[in-house]
Amino acid sequence: MNPITADRRHFEDLALGEEVALGSITVTKEMIISFAREFDPFPFHLDEAAAKRSLLGGLAASGWQTAGLTLRLLTDAFLTRIASAGGLGFSDLKWKRPVMKNDTITGTGRIIELRRSRHHPQWGVLTIELDMRNQKFEPVMSMKLANLIETREPAAAEATP
Amino acid sequence: MTRWFEDITIDEAFPLGSHTFTEDEIVRFAADYDPQYFHLRDTGAEHSHFGGLIASGWHTVVVGHRKMVDALAAEELRLKGLGEEPGVSGPGAGVNRMDFKAPVRPGDTVSYTLVVSAKRPSNSLPGWGILTNQLSAVNQRGETVYQSELIGFSKLRDFKMPLRLRMLEALTKLPGLGKLLTKSR
Repeated sequence: MNPITADRRHFEDLALGEEVALGSITVTKEMIISFAREFDPFPFHLDEAAAKRSLLGGLAASGWQTAGLTLRLLTDAFLTRIASAGGLGFSDLKWKRPVMKNDTITGTGRIIELRRSRHHPQWGVLTIELDMRNQKFEPVMSMKLANLIETREPAAAEATP
Repeated sequence: MTRWFEDITIDEAFPLGSHTFTEDEIVRFAADYDPQYFHLRDTGAEHSHFGGLIASGWHTVVVGHRKMVDALAAEELRLKGLGEEPGVSGPGAGVNRMDFKAPVRPGDTVSYTLVVSAKRPSNSLPGWGILTNQLSAVNQRGETVYQSELIGFSKLRDFKMPLRLRMLEALTKLPGLGKLLTKSR
């Protein structure tokens, strides 16, 4: 038994269709510039004057920062409360609207797939669909994230067809 | 790449360079974006099946993005140096899939490569082309760290805007009316 995850929810404790309410976070100018400097140094993420002249019409967060903050909200609300064994990746990530300076983002996750690993009876695979919104409830990003989760009863794998 | 849509060659590999992940930066990224016990110090990472601390997959992804941004800037300088006018690349539209294949541990060096596997002119954004980008990351042992497919945009050099759209664009430049048109979109 993994002492770190022993008291957390395991594969058997999750249900298909279960919804996870995420917290919220306000994206400040300082956060946008600091992330862009390190990971996405385009002028429209670094400089307000350049941002005003760009297609975005103002200082906007890197799409990767929106994704990173989504991950943070999901980690706090869900991934640190389950027996997570690491991420497998993500798919169908769509940036729908830029996240502008001082926007507040929040969202919901919904478990859309839940299955045992074919080759590793100690793990299950869950896919969670994320729908992120700004303070006007406009969609800003969506994606499907796949994660490994420890099973309580690895033996049950044999009983599953 | 910062090339005109017409100049982008399909299936040509562009090396984007490499990055060595230190334990400090792995932990710093995780504290901000992915604070799970196997990405942090002194939280029991040794109990995970990884047997120790590993980088968040998302950390390896955003570093790959940074590498691509740097490569675009370098390509722009190279073209300018040749006396050519560089093209314009647009914002990313999304990621079709991102598959994490192998964990990245402190001290690992990851090399990134971009291949454009398909391109077509956009129907909804006149003057722009849509690119299908395959971005892969490989560690110093030759193991694939991740494999991904992203959607990007690149401007067309030989695009002639239809008269209807040119008139619309001229209208949006009028004060007042422009705001109205932008709002109604």
